[in-house]
Amino acid sequence: MLKKRPIYVAHGGEKMLKVEDLHVNAGDKEILKGVNLSMKMGELHVVMGPNGSGKSTLALTIAGHPRYRILKGKIIFEGEDITSIGPDERAKRGIFLAFQVPPEVEGVKIIEFLQQVLAELKGIDPLEAYDLVVEKARELGFKEEDLHRYVNVGFSGGERKRFELLQAILVEPKLLILDEPDSGVDVDSLKIISGKINELHKKGTAMLLITHYGRILEHLGGKDLIVHVMKDGRVVRTGNRELVERIDREGFGEIFEEVM
Amino acid sequence: MTETITMRDAKTIIENQIEELAKRNREPEWMTKLRYKALEAFERAPLNDPVIDENTLLSFIAKPEVGGIPKNVESLDDFPPELKALLDRLGISEIEQKYIAGLAVQTDTGIVYNQFLQEWAKKGLIVLPTEEAVKKYPDVVKRHFLKLFKVEESKLTAYHTAIWNGGIFLYVKEGLKVPFPLHLFFLIQESALAQAPHILIIAEPNTEFHLIEGCTAPILVKHSLHLDMTEAYLGEGSKAQLTVLQNWPEYVHTRPMTRAKMLKGARFINTTVSLGSGKSSVANPKYWVGEGAHVELNGIVLGQKDWYVDLGGEMYLKGKGASGINASKAVIMDESKVVTRGIIRAEASKTKGHISCDALLMGDSAVMETYPGLVSMVDDAELSHEAAIGKIREEELFYLMSRGLDEEKATQLIVKGFLEPMLRDIPMEFLVEIRKIIELAVSGGM
Repeated sequence: MLKKRPIYVAHGGEKMLKVEDLHVNAGDKEILKGVNLSMKMGELHVVMGPNGSGKSTLALTIAGHPRYRILKGKIIFEGEDITSIGPDERAKRGIFLAFQVPPEVEGVKIIEFLQQVLAELKGIDPLEAYDLVVEKARELGFKEEDLHRYVNVGFSGGERKRFELLQAILVEPKLLILDEPDSGVDVDSLKIISGKINELHKKGTAMLLITHYGRILEHLGGKDLIVHVMKDGRVVRTGNRELVERIDREGFGEIFEEVM
Repeated sequence: MTETITMRDAKTIIENQIEELAKRNREPEWMTKLRYKALEAFERAPLNDPVIDENTLLSFIAKPEVGGIPKNVESLDDFPPELKALLDRLGISEIEQKYIAGLAVQTDTGIVYNQFLQEWAKKGLIVLPTEEAVKKYPDVVKRHFLKLFKVEESKLTAYHTAIWNGGIFLYVKEGLKVPFPLHLFFLIQESALAQAPHILIIAEPNTEFHLIEGCTAPILVKHSLHLDMTEAYLGEGSKAQLTVLQNWPEYVHTRPMTRAKMLKGARFINTTVSLGSGKSSVANPKYWVGEGAHVELNGIVLGQKDWYVDLGGEMYLKGKGASGINASKAVIMDESKVVTRGIIRAEASKTKGHISCDALLMGDSAVMETYPGLVSMVDDAELSHEAAIGKIREEELFYLMSRGLDEEKATQLIVKGFLEPMLRDIPMEFLVEIRKIIELAVSGGM
């Protein structure tokens, strides 16, 4: 059971996301076993934890993946219960998930896909969207001709992550969930990605960043990040940057021993 | 069926049709003789059809027209209301709707095409209704007509030959390159609406052209059995494209018969986009591929309702280095069934063949079967096949939905994307309509 659980009071605006006692199954297996998490507007939260601790499941469940069945608990976003609404509705309310491994969508051209997304979410006319996409794509290291490739098809690891960020930059969500944006990424891509995360954060987007290592955090500004450590389907520890540094030095082992 | 039709009755009916056609067309004697030869073969020829049995065929012969279609469509007001509504939803212009209905209208498009054809006739591009070509160029037609088929092959071949009417004769003079696609539906409208059109394509060496048959919009035909036949002779070094667009009403059985003989170095891309296959569609095109020549057979199928689609395709790689690709992509909905059975025969050295078959199953009752056939008579041919049959992947759907697209829009995007790579040779004006039809079909709105 959780013994030491420091209450961390973050500053910021109103409550944006509240995850209450979330129990989630994938197939017959319970993966989340009572997760609690609370975020305010504009905050940067980091979820860390070893493989299989439920980090990605948490991200996918908040985004509304149908494979994850909620047995118990609630997800409240901006004061409303979104536990049972579809992923498209969540996107419309301002939640965006940057995938750890985004799937290939054969035959769908990036530009046409982004034009449709921008029309759907922001009511931007396709012609206007075209210019906007080209401009932002350049900033993320894509060329104009790349926009005629199919979504994620044949992309390198770095390209996939940059394309996720490109979508986030265009959509400007209220809450950006980043599922391991730093995994399988070369140094150059990591720089671009973290630069863009900072940019969005400064504009007021709240972040829920899932990472295996603390590496990407070195590139992220803002001292006020809040770290949640997950183990076996629960958040076992919440802290600040110091906690990240400790995990960096000692690994998860000692922290887990403390909370056992 | 209300009454049983005997073989004898059917033959009498066919004979009367032959007489009528011979008189109407004032065709040369050899053609009428050929029709009679086919009639003779009809009785003993095998039927070889997975859907239509002999009694059904005989009843179609006795009564070729379906009920419920207005006898004379004189204006768009005579259209069945559902069809009119569908055409409006697809955003098809009134002029085009009239064409689809078979209304003999003089349109701007028609006039432009006529002027265009007169202009190009001087350069050596001849486009004529096949009946006219028989009279105007009897020697050329006689040398090629029904040389890639035999009347006794099947009852359907025999029946087609006996009663063929309509169709296009296309002749491209040596070295002529036609820089834009020829859309036959608007060139000679009757060809698409006749029950048994015969299309004859003769491309001399080093020519280039792209022929588009049919149209994407649903068309109003009155018959239950459609038997078109296409014979293509592609000379050395010619580059030909034949795109067939079809959207048949659900009461029609279609049996397209296509064959091509390709000489040294010829290239042929034969694409069929079947947005509506009709009640059933069975096609088994054959290609004889000469030295260094290359053929691609692309099939795009949208299976809906209880339609049955059977796609064959036989390639004979006869010359050294000949190659062939048989690729199909099918989106199968409702209780529809799609079968593919391409065969590639490597008969000469250094030949290459590949069969691929992809299917997206959109429901639990949708069925796909694939039987690829690779036959090698030589030891240095490269033959391969691959098949992928599956449903829409949950990951893909979730990804698109997590970007704010609802399930319907996300599904439409995935289905369009699935077919997209195979639509790359289709001109833009058709592509827009094809995409719209796919969207409607996916959303159950056809």
